[in-house]
Amino acid sequence: MNRRLGIIVGVLAFVAAACLPLLSKVAPAIAGPYALSLARSIFVYLALAVSWDMLFRSGQVSFGIAGFFGLGIYGAAIAGISFGLAPWLSILAGGAFAALAAAVFGLVILRLRAIYFSITTLALAEIFRIIFHNGGDFTGGAEGLIMPSLFSNDDGALYWLALSGVAIALVASSWFARSKIRFALTAIRNNEIQAKSSGIGIYKYLMIAFVVSSFVQGIAGGIQLQSYGSAAPDDAFNANYTLLPLAMALLGGVYSTIGPVIGAILLGLASEGLKLRIPYGHLVVYGIIIVLVILFMPNGLYGLWLRGARRREGSRRGDKGDRSGGLGAGKAPLVAGDAGGPVAKEAPHA
Amino acid sequence: MWASLGIVVAVALFLWKPTVLVYGLQRAGLYAAVAIPMALVLGVVHIVNLSHGEFMMVAAYATYFAAKLLGIDPLVAMVPVGVVMAVFGFVIYRLTIRKALKAPELNQLILTFGLGIALSQAVNLAFSSQSWKLSLDYVTASATIGKYSFGTYDFIFVAAAIALAAGLKLFLTRTRMGKAALAVGQNPRGAAIVGIDVDRTYAFVFSLAVGLVGIMGSLFLTKQAIFPTVGGPYTMKSFCLVAMAGVGNITGVLWGSIALGVAEVAMTNVRELRDWSSIVFFVIIIATILARAIKERSA
Repeated sequence: MNRRLGIIVGVLAFVAAACLPLLSKVAPAIAGPYALSLARSIFVYLALAVSWDMLFRSGQVSFGIAGFFGLGIYGAAIAGISFGLAPWLSILAGGAFAALAAAVFGLVILRLRAIYFSITTLALAEIFRIIFHNGGDFTGGAEGLIMPSLFSNDDGALYWLALSGVAIALVASSWFARSKIRFALTAIRNNEIQAKSSGIGIYKYLMIAFVVSSFVQGIAGGIQLQSYGSAAPDDAFNANYTLLPLAMALLGGVYSTIGPVIGAILLGLASEGLKLRIPYGHLVVYGIIIVLVILFMPNGLYGLWLRGARRREGSRRGDKGDRSGGLGAGKAPLVAGDAGGPVAKEAPHA
Repeated sequence: MWASLGIVVAVALFLWKPTVLVYGLQRAGLYAAVAIPMALVLGVVHIVNLSHGEFMMVAAYATYFAAKLLGIDPLVAMVPVGVVMAVFGFVIYRLTIRKALKAPELNQLILTFGLGIALSQAVNLAFSSQSWKLSLDYVTASATIGKYSFGTYDFIFVAAAIALAAGLKLFLTRTRMGKAALAVGQNPRGAAIVGIDVDRTYAFVFSLAVGLVGIMGSLFLTKQAIFPTVGGPYTMKSFCLVAMAGVGNITGVLWGSIALGVAEVAMTNVRELRDWSSIVFFVIIIATILARAIKERSA
């Protein structure tokens, strides 16, 4: 997709989404309270999926999305209740808290790679949950904290709030995609040693990716708190907040902004339909989707579309492809979002 | 240094509460026995199987039905369940793992993560998230030494761990297939050059590991309640132990299990720390990984 066209389409889609609540009287099926609350929950997952992908672009798989999301929920709740911060600010406080935690833990865990990093993030999420579970009055223990909502049950306002969370995620992701951060992360993913010898500050860029993506996850948590009004350890750190965004990003197509968005909307709608029919165990679909995508469609839907578009174009660009470390490496020539992108040697010096 | 530290801690625990050592050792047996098959897969196939614990869970459910519907005792059912699980493991290997062997490590990680979710959620879908337990009378066997009395049945896990460790050692050094597996684990290309069928070896080792963890599922059911997500923590614990020990170090897995088991049991025995005992393992796993990373850096 042409860059400028992409931006225009994206902005138009966003404006259309923002106008949706105005239609609530005209078309309750797509803009009634039920539809808006479904959209809200999809928006939260969407922001998480995009933020997961932002770190994933460096080749690091986080299994700890739920951890930083939960930190955002609790950070916002504690800022609002114990420190009396205004609700708007408390959302930011949630993001800041998650980002701070990421910066502190990142000092150490960003030295780890591959499975070691993944398992550590998974363990961190569990540690956070146990800490908030046992935190006594300050964190409300197993029952958690109740926080009065900013717009108590105003569906339209809550919808816009969730949409602004999406906006933050999309802006952050586009910033990554359009700045030299993208080159740095791609280079690190393709070949860390080569990236390092080209003068890229590996650690610095991993830190930026980790902190910013955790900030987005924390903001999503703060918004979730406003949406549901309570912070309980087993909900806030629920493993679904790791599983669903991961599946969404993979299905839609990783290493891009649009991929996770597509995946989140598709899977969000599909899982709502499934949930109504199968209350327990519908998550099996997510597991199967992850397996199938990895085996047969490692570049996701967006990757398929890109490949089709390129074939139509007549392979003018001359595919260089992703060297290694990519999901589709060795199978599909290109990876979404990094179409023929520069590898380490073209990356700017840090 | 480690040995003397271990002895000091063991003596201190013995003077404080001897039962902590007994229960810690029993728990260690379970952890080690579940972790050893994962170590085997990692050492030979070079895959971290994040659905490891879920295979155990599936086997436990199979054993539950064998016990409830056919009236087979779990200790008998573990043989057929182990065989069935090995076949299941073979099917999973052929359908999924094999296709991802050449893919980057990222893909393998996410693939087995997805497999684990699919298994646990499929069980959730079929049998709900309710927890089930068998009540067997022989598991309450206990012994009394002096003024301390403790359950003895759980020593079966210690026996299982020792049997697995010893059996694996014999398999890898004495049998043709085992030697082939060892060679493939060290250098798949070299093994292929000297005529070893690498793919067949991978398939065999993966199936064997799933079969072994299936047997552990049957044993697990005799003592514990089962529910769809019961396997997840065992995946993580196994990975923790294998990472702690390093690839190919089965003895290390045994020692690590003892440290983990005793530490957890000791925590639950102190009232103020009881709520925090579940955090021990996660802290240990992170500490282990970091220690390993530092060690590798300086080496």
